[in-house]
Amino acid sequence: MNLPILTLSDLAFTYRDAPKPALDQINYRHRRGEFTVIVGETGAGKSTLCRCLNGLIPSFTKGRLDGSLRVSGHRESERPHVYELARIVGLVFQDFEAQLFSTNVELETAFALENFAVDPDQMKTRVEQALNRVGLSGFEQRDPSSLSGGEKQRLAIASVLAGSPSLVVMDEPTTDLDPVGKRGIFRLAQDMRNEIEGIILVEHETEHVLSADRILLMHEGRIVQEGPPGEILADPRKVERHGVRPLQTTVLLSELGLETDALTIQDAAARIRSAGWQVRPSAQESLDGTCRREPPHEPRQSVVRVENLVYRYGEAPPAVDGVSLDIAAGEFVALVGQNGCGKTTLAKHLNGLHAPTEGEVRVLGRSTFDWTLPELGRRVGYVFQNPDHQIFANTVRDEVAFGARNYGFSEEEAGEKVDAALAETGLSGRDLEDPFNLTRGERQQLAVASVLATDPEILVLDEPTTGLDYHGQVAILDLVRRLNESGRTVVMITHSMWVVAEYADRCVIMSGGRVVQDADVRTCFSNPALLESLYLEAPEAVRLGYEFGLVARSVGEIAGCLERMEE
Amino acid sequence: MVLYIPSDSLLHRLHPSTKIVGLALLLILTVAFQSPWYQLVILSGVLLLARSAGAFRNLRRILPLMITVLVFSVVSWSLFRRVGDPFWSFGLFTLSAESIRFGFAMGFRLEAMLVSGMVFVSCTKVEEFAYGLRSIGLPFAVSFALSLAFRLVPLFFTRIGTVVQAQQARGLDLKSGNVLQRARKYVPLLVPIFVYAIRDTDLLSMALESKGFGMRGRRTEYLSFPFVWRDYAILGLLLILNIAGWLMPVP
Repeated sequence: MNLPILTLSDLAFTYRDAPKPALDQINYRHRRGEFTVIVGETGAGKSTLCRCLNGLIPSFTKGRLDGSLRVSGHRESERPHVYELARIVGLVFQDFEAQLFSTNVELETAFALENFAVDPDQMKTRVEQALNRVGLSGFEQRDPSSLSGGEKQRLAIASVLAGSPSLVVMDEPTTDLDPVGKRGIFRLAQDMRNEIEGIILVEHETEHVLSADRILLMHEGRIVQEGPPGEILADPRKVERHGVRPLQTTVLLSELGLETDALTIQDAAARIRSAGWQVRPSAQESLDGTCRREPPHEPRQSVVRVENLVYRYGEAPPAVDGVSLDIAAGEFVALVGQNGCGKTTLAKHLNGLHAPTEGEVRVLGRSTFDWTLPELGRRVGYVFQNPDHQIFANTVRDEVAFGARNYGFSEEEAGEKVDAALAETGLSGRDLEDPFNLTRGERQQLAVASVLATDPEILVLDEPTTGLDYHGQVAILDLVRRLNESGRTVVMITHSMWVVAEYADRCVIMSGGRVVQDADVRTCFSNPALLESLYLEAPEAVRLGYEFGLVARSVGEIAGCLERMEE
Repeated sequence: MVLYIPSDSLLHRLHPSTKIVGLALLLILTVAFQSPWYQLVILSGVLLLARSAGAFRNLRRILPLMITVLVFSVVSWSLFRRVGDPFWSFGLFTLSAESIRFGFAMGFRLEAMLVSGMVFVSCTKVEEFAYGLRSIGLPFAVSFALSLAFRLVPLFFTRIGTVVQAQQARGLDLKSGNVLQRARKYVPLLVPIFVYAIRDTDLLSMALESKGFGMRGRRTEYLSFPFVWRDYAILGLLLILNIAGWLMPVP
């Protein structure tokens, strides 16, 4: 008999002073050996639910908790304390920096064991096993801060595993990771399912969760649907409505008017073929001939010219090691590569935050050595990864006006520019709102607006979609696309390959401080072996195209290349 | 610690609490003497220790500081301290055999203190330091706060760096303007930094609670260091030297 290891009945939680509940009528049973994934838009209550499971709510975060939570192996009590639950339910957080607090890997893994007063002899073996499990054997003496993002998150998982919990809960563990780090975590979750009694994972990327046993779709604090992936993910419109990017296989199937419950690329391709669809003759040629739009300026006009750039932090080996790059006015360039490959370091040369150790960067025809920092900063708008690194004003309007005032525009001129920036980012009419009351997605748009108000010709964005749900991502990306179409040159650092495929014109791939590939996006995706060797992977839609022998950038392009055979 | 130099020397292998107490005893010993000759003996002693612990690499890093300290204390004590019969004077400055002796004694003493401290950080890891503090009786919370600081301080500086750059990219210029204007310019930096600090603290406390931190009752230790003959020997020797040094008539 398979008894549930976790039972939630009518669980509800309202944060102190909040007008409405963050969780409402949550009913759920987790059976032994199951791997469950929670999806849903920002604010659906996913993190709140995770924190209830190990008792952080209500013992750490206060509020009103109703209903019951029962965990097998733990005697039922009215309000189980986090100390008691934490031994049974291990929680891994999204932010890997804030959950590591030791000075070496081994001690980090042993930390919970020490607190739970585990026998020292036993500790050694458990630490060893946990590190081995996550592939960090041999790292015992390393300082956690010297690890890569993916390694840090695996260490966080090891430190939870060492406590041998029955249930491991991971709250968006891959959000801040590059593709390699991401893949490592999913593979680990995959392998762990046979060894511990249950895994609950919060995740945005549907493609990675096909192997889950169950998916919970959350919306406004409730579980609105629960079932196997084939059932929940088969309806692309419903998934999208809930702030989750639908599987591209289901999008294509639905566009062709077919049943959408073939989720994997192979299954979907097979279904499409057996329904009589095939690739039009010379479809690839016509794809190759289409540009998203006409080349922006004829003749080509160079706005950024990087020549043999080398940059070193102190005495470390160069972070950027001999990069040359020429960007033309009106281009949309995606800059991709693993964490630490030098993308951000390179980008920070464009607005003068870094000065070249060797080589030269010319912006708008003039070397960055000859620009003053404020002047260059006005012409090259730089949007940092996290809007919360810069928001400080009391109102949206003041926040946006900050840059314009710094650059010495007259109050009237600044006012006009702020109005224009607010209009372009869709924040018109919200001038007097407190920036901290905006959603994360809106704060990201605000950050873009505050850069736009100085009227820059070039926009540099560092991972603008991180931490946003699908709606938020699409909103910011569409905004960037509009800005690009209105003539601004865009350089965007990103880890999301689907963003590269659907939005950028040109893709620059970096590795170890060098540019290893620089070509238009379609050319980049026509060489999957090269991507693989750089630990990158073509996005789902592109791989779906491969099944039909196409190099397509989106499901829309694939659909346009297919035709139904006459009977 | 940052200056830790991995090695398997005798000093490295000492019990963490021996290292801490030993350092304290060494520092006390340097205060026991006034004679430059005795100080020179102590200084040579700690230099030998530094040699045996392979700490010369770190000493080389602070060589300019060591030279400055020596020159500065010899010169200033010799010139300003009014003891004995001055054989030369000029305004405020006097020189006597005693004041020169004293200047050298102070110089060697400061050097010996510097070198001892350097030997300590070269052969003690943060986790050993924390463990040592616990084993000489400090509460767990204190030693934990110490090791946490080693992890968080660099992280916090990284965050500050990001905020500064994000605002500079929006034209914040911290260099121009008078004091008042400049002070006001820090608002755009302080707000995001505070927001971050609060958010980080919140997340950190949650992560700590989730790992059973602060659980009442017994706690076990992952690390264990045996307290063996060499610890007794070193501490005993330092204790005897101290007793002898302090009982001796001041030379």
